[in-house]
Amino acid sequence: MLFVPLVLAAALTPNPVWAQRIDSIPSWAAVVRTIAIDERLAADAGLRVGDLVVLSGEPGRASGDTVRISAIVRRRADPSEVARSEYRIRMHLGQLQEIIGYGDRVDRYAIATTGGVAADSALRQINAKAFGFHAYPSREIAVETSKTFAVVSRFHRAIGMITIVASATFLLCIMLLKVDERRRDVAAMRLMGISRATVVRTVMLESSFVALLGSLFGVGLGFVTSALVNAHYQAVYRTPLRFAIITPGTVTYSVLLSLVLGIGAGALAARRLARTPPLTLFGR
Amino acid sequence: MRFQLAALSLRRHASRTLLAVLGVAVSAAMLLDMVMLATGMRQSFASLLGRNGFTIRVSPRGTLPFDTEATIGQARDAAAAIKRITGVTAVAPVLGSTIHVLGGANPVTAFALGVDPAVQGDYQLLQGQHPTANALVASDALLRATGAGIGDTLDVAVGFDPQLRTYTGRRRVVVSGRARFTYLSADDRAAALQLASVQALGGADRTDRVSLFMVRTAPNVDPEAARVAVERTLPRVTALSTAGAVAEAEHRLSYFRQLAFILGAVSLIVGFLLVTTIVTVSVNERIGEIAIMRAIGVSRSHVVHQIVIEGIGLSLTGAAAGLILGLFTAKWLNSILRGFPGLPDAIDFFLFQPNSAFRALALLVASGIAAGIYPAWRAASLPISATLREEAVG
Repeated sequence: MLFVPLVLAAALTPNPVWAQRIDSIPSWAAVVRTIAIDERLAADAGLRVGDLVVLSGEPGRASGDTVRISAIVRRRADPSEVARSEYRIRMHLGQLQEIIGYGDRVDRYAIATTGGVAADSALRQINAKAFGFHAYPSREIAVETSKTFAVVSRFHRAIGMITIVASATFLLCIMLLKVDERRRDVAAMRLMGISRATVVRTVMLESSFVALLGSLFGVGLGFVTSALVNAHYQAVYRTPLRFAIITPGTVTYSVLLSLVLGIGAGALAARRLARTPPLTLFGR
Repeated sequence: MRFQLAALSLRRHASRTLLAVLGVAVSAAMLLDMVMLATGMRQSFASLLGRNGFTIRVSPRGTLPFDTEATIGQARDAAAAIKRITGVTAVAPVLGSTIHVLGGANPVTAFALGVDPAVQGDYQLLQGQHPTANALVASDALLRATGAGIGDTLDVAVGFDPQLRTYTGRRRVVVSGRARFTYLSADDRAAALQLASVQALGGADRTDRVSLFMVRTAPNVDPEAARVAVERTLPRVTALSTAGAVAEAEHRLSYFRQLAFILGAVSLIVGFLLVTTIVTVSVNERIGEIAIMRAIGVSRSHVVHQIVIEGIGLSLTGAAAGLILGLFTAKWLNSILRGFPGLPDAIDFFLFQPNSAFRALALLVASGIAAGIYPAWRAASLPISATLREEAVG
């Protein structure tokens, strides 16, 4: 016997309904109503299309409603549901009203319009005429429900800033050291008569190449990491939602940033080396 | 002597040392923040749930407290049955509902809790009296929204019938006090009334029903055993111990914990690589010096110690700076995450716990020591005469 609380997604109410699996078809249930369940419930309860279940408003209530599972549906990639582990079923409105004793009531209506002016006009008319109701445009609801994600997004940006500072410092350090290692080469070039400008350009070219190679490697690593992150969190939260997305903008931003930092650090170190007398660079 | 030589060596390339210390400091700050994030949520949430000694939450079967609008029926009998369980010292019933405060141009909507004021753990009275039969205590946000004060009378209702165009469950109540609600944010409009009042406001649907029970157990009783006993006694409920609730919250927020682990590990690796690179380059530049020191009789261990001290110096200075930087950034990051809608005031995502913080920084310093050992040993083990010849000839 299995009891599972189901929060209904039939645009009705957050009241849970409990489902109890039954193993034989009662004779009176020749014509049973059908419901759709989500993949998560099907997997956890071992339910399949065609199975009969009893739905009731409270766990263990004897007078439940026998229904047949007619479909197993996949949830949308909705961020607002990501951390919620509840099960969902979809059923006929009237049936749900009967099961939970809700009467002829609904929680809300979703209204489709042709958009634009028609939506605004419908909003105005409903709010003016339907006493006790309030109509909201979808975008307003979207803003309200996405507050959590706005916070997460701000947090990610802050973490990103700290990471950029850390990696920039690291990159500057490495580039300075790398250029510093070329003291003797630079000294030799200067003694051979190669101009300071050429020395600086050579070192800068070299550091640009290193920064570019590093960036490309980083982009590859980013793609692999994001694939791993998506695979992991999609499994943890059982959702098709993509948690990490690499956009052309992200790639351009990171490559440009590392190039600027790499070339900047290279230029800084190269100028310092080029100004130092060659014999000093040789350690004499 | 070793310390002096190490300090001189670091001072020789002041800009490089400064950059390395800055790099280690940022890594240390990030590591500290991630440790605070990983442990802070758990501690903060456990501490919130453990307030007032309530160790078990009982909600309708298969649901978490206030996760749905489901309620437990025959609440009086259920409370009596829970009280009879060995080790249970108090049972606090709670019924949640939405109320509308009427009277102004627009009704003000608030969250109402029906409680037993004698055993409740949902609010802390700041001023006035606990609610009596026709009274409520309100949060500051609700008082601000309604413009009411202690002693004022409010016209409240729980619903609206659009067909009859009347409010349902209407009643006039007196504001008897102002309170801080433990599990709600400061911006939430909330009120607490007597349980019987909220049940009466809800009509037949809410008669003898509650949303949850909070159960207090004796200090010497295992809450887990009491939790199992509650579920055995009442098959239509789910009992959740504080540890279970913390685990559930951790599951829901596992993203942050794992992010903290990954970024913490990356910070540690970056710090290690930075110190390794700096020390290795510094040693490579001083191969000749080291060979001379060895030639004039300075022992191998002395050379190793001196180089390792340089690594420790970089890591320690960076860690100390990182501690200060980390506390500032943690405060900033915490203020961002505290923007989550409806987050209780008592929840902090970043919590400074000296033990965890100093362990993390000690790990960073240890990695700094490890970073210096290999290049130091390699430099001290080079053949003296060959190195001197190569360095002299160039």
